[in-house]
Amino acid sequence: MAETLTKPHDEEPLIEGNQTYASLTETVAGVVQRQKDHPKAWFVAFVLGFGLVNVLLLSITYLVYMGIGIWGNNQPVAWSFDIINFVWWIGIGHAGTLISAILLLMRQEWRTSINRFAEAMTIFAVMCAGMYPLLHTGRPWVAYWLLPYPNILAMWPQPRSPLVWDVFAVSTYMTVSILFWYTGLVPDLATLRDRVKNRFAKVLAGMGSLGWRGSAKHWMRYEQAYIILAGLSTPLVLSVHTIVSFDFAVSILPGWQATIFPPYFVAGAVYAGFAMVLTFMIPMRRWYRIEHLVTMNHIDWMAKIMLTTGLIVFYGYIVEVFYAWYSANPYEQFMMWNRWHGPYAPAYWLLILCNGVIPQLLWSKKNRRNLKLVFAVSLVVSLGMWLERFIIIPVSLHRDFLPSSWGMYYPTIWDFGMFFGTIGFFVMMMFLFVRFIPMISIFEVRELWSRIRPQRAEVKEVEA
Amino acid sequence: MEETKTQTGLDIEEIRRRLRGERGQRYWRSLEEVAETPEFQQFLEDEFPNRSSLLDLDRRSFLKVMGASLALAGLSGCRFLPKEKIVPYVKAPEEVVPGKPTYYATAMPFAGSSIGLIAKAVMGRPIKLEGNESHPWSLGASDVFSQAAILTLYDPDRGTTVKNRGFVATWEEFLAEARKVLPQAKGVRLVVGDAASPTLERQLAEFQRVYPSAKIVRHEPVSRANALEGAKIALGREALPVHDFSKARVVLAVDADFLASMPGKVRYAREFAGTRRVDEKNQSLSRLYCVEPAPTPTGILADHRLPIAQADLEGFLQHVAYLVGAASQPGAANLAPESFWNGLAKDLRSAGAQAAVVVGDACTPAAHALAIAIQAKLGSVGSTVRYVAAPRPRSDLRLSALLEELESGAADAVLFLQANPVYSSGLGERLAKAIGKAKLSACFDLYETETAAACMWYLPAPHFLEDWSDARALDGTVSIVQPLVEPLHDTLSVHSLLPALMNRPSEPLAEVRKTWAVDDKTWRTWLNEGVASVPKAAEVPVPATVQAPVGRSRRVDGFEVAIRPDPTVWDGTFANNGWLQELPKPFTKLTWDNAVHLSFSAAESLKVSNGDVVRVTLGERSVEGPAWILPGLAKNTVLLHLGYGRRAGGRVAEGAGFDVYPLTSEDSPWGGVGARVEKTGKRAVLASAQMHFSMEGRDIVRMGTMEEYRRNPSLKPEHAHGEAPRDLTLYSDEEKRREQEGVQQWGMAIDLNLCMGCNACVTACQAENNIPVVGKDQVQRGREMHWIRIDHYYGPRAGDGSGDNPTHVVQPINCMQCENAPCEPVCPVAATVHSHEGLNQMVYNRCVGTRYCSNNCPYKVRRFNYLNYQFAQKNFDRKEDIPLLKLLNNPDVTVRGRGVMEKCTYCVQRINAARIEAKKKGRDIRDGEVVTACQQACPSQAIVFGDVSDPNSRVSQIKRNQRNYALLGELNTRPRTTYLARVTNPNPEIEA
Repeated sequence: MAETLTKPHDEEPLIEGNQTYASLTETVAGVVQRQKDHPKAWFVAFVLGFGLVNVLLLSITYLVYMGIGIWGNNQPVAWSFDIINFVWWIGIGHAGTLISAILLLMRQEWRTSINRFAEAMTIFAVMCAGMYPLLHTGRPWVAYWLLPYPNILAMWPQPRSPLVWDVFAVSTYMTVSILFWYTGLVPDLATLRDRVKNRFAKVLAGMGSLGWRGSAKHWMRYEQAYIILAGLSTPLVLSVHTIVSFDFAVSILPGWQATIFPPYFVAGAVYAGFAMVLTFMIPMRRWYRIEHLVTMNHIDWMAKIMLTTGLIVFYGYIVEVFYAWYSANPYEQFMMWNRWHGPYAPAYWLLILCNGVIPQLLWSKKNRRNLKLVFAVSLVVSLGMWLERFIIIPVSLHRDFLPSSWGMYYPTIWDFGMFFGTIGFFVMMMFLFVRFIPMISIFEVRELWSRIRPQRAEVKEVEA
Repeated sequence: MEETKTQTGLDIEEIRRRLRGERGQRYWRSLEEVAETPEFQQFLEDEFPNRSSLLDLDRRSFLKVMGASLALAGLSGCRFLPKEKIVPYVKAPEEVVPGKPTYYATAMPFAGSSIGLIAKAVMGRPIKLEGNESHPWSLGASDVFSQAAILTLYDPDRGTTVKNRGFVATWEEFLAEARKVLPQAKGVRLVVGDAASPTLERQLAEFQRVYPSAKIVRHEPVSRANALEGAKIALGREALPVHDFSKARVVLAVDADFLASMPGKVRYAREFAGTRRVDEKNQSLSRLYCVEPAPTPTGILADHRLPIAQADLEGFLQHVAYLVGAASQPGAANLAPESFWNGLAKDLRSAGAQAAVVVGDACTPAAHALAIAIQAKLGSVGSTVRYVAAPRPRSDLRLSALLEELESGAADAVLFLQANPVYSSGLGERLAKAIGKAKLSACFDLYETETAAACMWYLPAPHFLEDWSDARALDGTVSIVQPLVEPLHDTLSVHSLLPALMNRPSEPLAEVRKTWAVDDKTWRTWLNEGVASVPKAAEVPVPATVQAPVGRSRRVDGFEVAIRPDPTVWDGTFANNGWLQELPKPFTKLTWDNAVHLSFSAAESLKVSNGDVVRVTLGERSVEGPAWILPGLAKNTVLLHLGYGRRAGGRVAEGAGFDVYPLTSEDSPWGGVGARVEKTGKRAVLASAQMHFSMEGRDIVRMGTMEEYRRNPSLKPEHAHGEAPRDLTLYSDEEKRREQEGVQQWGMAIDLNLCMGCNACVTACQAENNIPVVGKDQVQRGREMHWIRIDHYYGPRAGDGSGDNPTHVVQPINCMQCENAPCEPVCPVAATVHSHEGLNQMVYNRCVGTRYCSNNCPYKVRRFNYLNYQFAQKNFDRKEDIPLLKLLNNPDVTVRGRGVMEKCTYCVQRINAARIEAKKKGRDIRDGEVVTACQQACPSQAIVFGDVSDPNSRVSQIKRNQRNYALLGELNTRPRTTYLARVTNPNPEIEA
C-alpha cells in the first residue's frame, strides 16, 4: 500500500532533502519554540498589520457613531464596499476548506504541507468577512435579529430572504472550519506541550491538546473525527459560496439575477483562495526555511488549480455576455453594454485582464515554477476577484431599470479604511498564527514521510 | 410672598425688568452688577435661600422660587425657554382632544396675491397646510410655497427679538425712538413688500394722513408692473387679467407659466386639467401652444412649443395679432414656420371666444396690450378672460428715487415692511450705505435680512400663522388670515406696529375687524369658510376693438438674459426653507443652487459643460455662477433664477447659489439683451437629484398624439412587453386572494396627461410624512429622502432631433405598492411586509437596515437614513437636534432615525384615521374619504387614490381607461400605482 502511494503525480518528492522525523518536527515546531529567532520580515508584517487594525478600529468606531452615511453608499447603490469585501473575504476562505476537506477525501497527499496554513486563512478570512454583514446594517446593534432566537414577540427571521440563508451558511462555515482546524491541531499541540521549555507555553499547549497522549485509541478516534468533519466540510465548500451568490441571484436586478452564479461563485472563491494561499506561502516558505516542505511541486499544483478555476470563472463571464444577448432582454443587454462602455468600464476591462488574461501565463510549467511570477499572478487574481464583485454589485446597481434613478458611486476614505483595516487584521492574525501555532501539520508531515521514506531510506541504509 | 422678598432682599421681577432693555456687552456687565448686589450675592451663595419656607410652601411662593430659577437660567445667556414640567390639563381647553387634530381656515399671502388654506393643528401646534376647497383660488389644492410655509413657522433662524444695531432690544425702546423721530422727520418712507392685505392698505393710508411727509415705496422683485402697464396702454386703466381656462379650447401661452408660477396657477391648473382628460367617450382635448424663452412646467404640457427669445415675444404677438386681424402690421413672421402661423391663426380664429391668450409677467407692456387686443378681437374677453382693477395703488416713489432721497437726506426715516431691497434689487450696496444716513431706519421682517443688517433696527415679524390679517387673491377675493398659534417669538403684528407708530396702540384682530366692520356672525362665517363675502375687484371693461402699439422684436446681440423667480425659493423669500432648497427644480432637478442655464447650442459654442463657472455680463454688471445646460431654452437665452446668493437671512439661505439681482434694475427686472457669457476656468459642484434624462428607449412614459391614441388607445409601444400575464405563476395566489377578499384594496392612478411637474405633491408629502432635509452634500451623494419624486425625461420633439427643443415628459414616482413586491421576500427580518389591504408596509422598528429591499426595488423609491438627518438646520449629517423643529412633526407618522429604510406608505395614517371614523359608524371607508397628501396638493388632480376592489370607485374607473398601464409591468411586480399614458393634441396642419 505504502509503496504505491509514494509519488502521487510527479517525479519530484513531496518532502525534499535528507529528512528524519526529528528534523521535520524540529523544522515546524522550532518556529514556535524559538520565539527570539523570527525573521525581521515577521516584525515588519506584524507592525503593518497591527497599524491597519487600528485603522479598522477607528473606522468601526466612527461607523457605529455616525452611521452608514460615512461610506459612499447611496440610492441606488445601497451596497458596495461592504458587500464586495464580504464576498471577497468569504471567497478567500474557500481554499482552506477545499484543501483540508476535498483534497483529504481525495487522498491528495500534497495537501499535508499547506492545509494547516490554508485552514487558518479560512478562519481569519471568515472573521474579516463576518464583520461586514454585521456592520453594514444601518443599526448594527439590532443585527442579531437576523438570528433565529426565541422572543416574546414570536418574531423570527424572514426565511425567504437570502440574507438569512447567509447567516446560516456563514456561521456554519465558521463553526465547522474552527472545529476542523482545531481537531487537526490537537496532536501537534501535544507535540508542542512535550517540547516547549517555557512553563506558561507548556500549560497552554497542554490545555489545548486536551490530554492527547498519542495512544492507538486516540489516533483511531482522531482519524474518525477528522474524516467526519472532512465529510461535513465538503458540502460547505460548495454551499457557502452558492448561498452567497444567492444574495444576488434571487433578486430581480439585471446583473444579479443569473443562474450561472452558484458554480461561478464557487469557482471564483477557490480561485481567490488559492491566490491568497500563494501570496502568503511564497514569502513564508522562504522566511521560515520550509522550502523542503512546501516544495516547488506544491506551488506548481496550486498554480494549476488557480488556472483551472480561473478558466471556469472566465467561462462564467462569457456566459453572462452570451445570456445578455440571448435573453433578448433589453435590461440585461443594457447591463452588459454598461459594463463595457459605462462609467465603470475600466474596472470591467481590468477585471478581464486580471482574471481572464494574465492567469493564462500559468499554462507554462516554467512560469508555474517561477516564484516571482506566480506571486505576481496571485496578487493580480486577488485584485481581479475584488473587481469582479465590484462589477457585480455597484456597477449593476448604479444603472438599473428607471434611468431617472441612475446614479454614481464613489467610495470614501472610510470605505477604504474599513477595507484595508480588514486586510491588516488578516495579516496580523496570520503572522500571530505563524508565530504561535505550528504552521504545518507536524504529525501529518511525519506520517507522509513515513510512507515516502522507505525506498529512499533503504537506499541510504545500503549506502551507509 | 412678602416673607420671600425680605429674606432675599431682591425683587426678581425688578431684575428682569431692568435686564430687558439692556443690550450687548452692557447686558452682561449690568447683569453682573445686578448679581453683585449684596442681596443677590447672598441669594446666590445661600444654597437654599428659601429653606425656612420650603416645608410650608404655598403656591405663590412656589411660583416666586420658580421665578428665581428663571432669573438664574438667564445667567447662562440662553434665550430659549427654560425647561418646564409638563402637567396634564385639569380643565382641558375646549375642542383640544389629544390626538385629534383641529382645522382652521386661513390664507397665505404670497407674491401680491393669496391662496386660501386649511391649517391642521395638533394640540395647539399647526403641522400641515392644505388648500381650502371653498377658496376659489385654491379649490382644495395648493402649491410648493404654501406647502412649505409651515416649515418657516418653526424655522429656528427666524428673528426672535428686536435688535438695535445688532444688540438685543425691546419693542418699547423702538417705539419710543420712532415716536420721537417720526414727527420731526423731513421725509418718512415706508418700503412695503408685495403684501395683499386690505387692512395694511387702510393703515398705510392712515399713516400717510398722520405723517404727511410719509411716502409709500412698493418693492416687488417679481412684479406685475408690465401687465398693469399693458392694460393701461390698451384700456386706459391699470388692470390684471383673470383667466378662465375651463372655457378655453385653444390656449396660447406667451412666456406664461400659468400652471406653475403665475398668480392664480392653482386654479388655472385645475381648470386647464378639466380640458385635458381623455377617455373613450371624451376625446376632445384643448390645444396648448407655448411660446417661451425658457422651458416651464406649462411648456411640458404644450402641444406645440416654440423656444423664442424674450426679446422676440413682442414681435411674435404682433404677428399673431396681425393674423387674427387685431393689428394691421405683420410682426416677426420669421420666428416660426409658415405652417405654424397658419395652424395657430386658424385655431385661434375658429376657437373665437374659446381662445385664451396668456402673457407672462416678464413680457413687455406692449405685449400685454397686444394680447388684450387679440382677445378683444377674438371675442374671448368675458369668456376665457376678464380684466380686473389693480389690487392696490402703485408706489408713491420708485426705489431708485428713494435711494437718491436717502443719499441727499431728503428722506431721513425709513421703515421696511417685509421688503428686502438691499438684497432683492439691483441697488444693493448703494442702498445699504444710504440707509445708514437716515436718522431712523428699521426693517420689519421674518428674518434678519440684508436690509435688516443695513438698518438701525431689526423688528421681528410674525409668521402668517401667528398673526391676524387679511389678504386678497388674484381676483380680489378676500380671506381672513387667522392665526393658529401664539407668536413663538417676541414679534409684533404689522397691524399693531403701524398704529403704535401713529400713537394709537391697537391689536391686530381689532384692526382687521375695523377694516371690514361686520357683525360677529358674519365674521365667524368668514373665518369658518376662509372666504369673506365682500365684493371682489372691480371689472375693467374692454371695448370691442382695442388699439395696441406695434410690437417689435429687439435684436439680440450675443446673448439675452432672462431673469425669473426661482421655482422653489421664489425671489429669495423662501431661501431659508430647507424643504424648498432641497426640492428638485423642474427640468434640471438641481437642489440648493441656482445656475446659469444655457441652451444646448450655446453650451456647445462656448465649450461649457455642467458645473463650469461662467461670468454673465449684462451692461456694466456681471455675475458669476455655475453653468447648467437646459435643453429647451431659446438658443441665445441665458436663464437665471433669483432668490440665491443670500448674504443674510438664515443658516440655510446663506451661501447657497449666487445672486442675480445685480443684473436687474427697476426698469428691467427680467433681464435684457446684449449679454456676454465667458468661461472663468473655475468649477463648481452642483447637486442634482437626477443624473440621467433619457428613457433609453424603454417603455417608461407612454405617450402619443390624439391620432395615435385613436389608432392604439393603450399607446403601448410596439416593442414593449407590457404587463406580465396574471396566470403566469407556478404558485397559487389563492391564499393571498382569500386574505384580501372583502377587504378594501388601495391603489392609485396618476394621469400623465395632467401632470406638469409642479412639485406640490413632493413638498406636501415632505410635510405630511416628517421627511427630513439632508443638505446639498448628501443630495450630491444621492441620498435625498423624498418619498415621491418627479422623474423628468427628454425625448426628441417629433421631427427635430436636436437638443434645443426636446419633448419634456414628467412622471411622479412614489412607492408602487407592488402586489408582488420584490422588496418583501429579500428582507431578512420581515420589516417590509404586505398588508391584507394591499399595502407594502414598512415596519421601521423592525428594520435593521440591510438595504437589500432598496437594491431589489426596480423603481428605486426606497429611501435610507444613511445618517441622522432629523431636526437639523445646517449640518444635516450631524445630530443637531433643534427642539423648535420637533414641533413641526406630524404625530401620526413615525420619525425615522438613522439606519432605517423608509418609503411612501400611501399615507397609511390617513387611511387609518378614515378607518377609525368609518368603524365608529359601522361601515366601510367611502370612496374619496382617504385622500393622500400628494393627491390633496395636486392642483390638476392628476393623482387619484382609492379602493381598487370597488369597481365603482373613482380610481377603479380611471384604471379602466385604456391609457392605464403599469410601469415596468413586464417584471410582474403588479404595481398598485398605475399611470395613464400621455396624449398630446398637436395641430395636424402644423408640420412638426
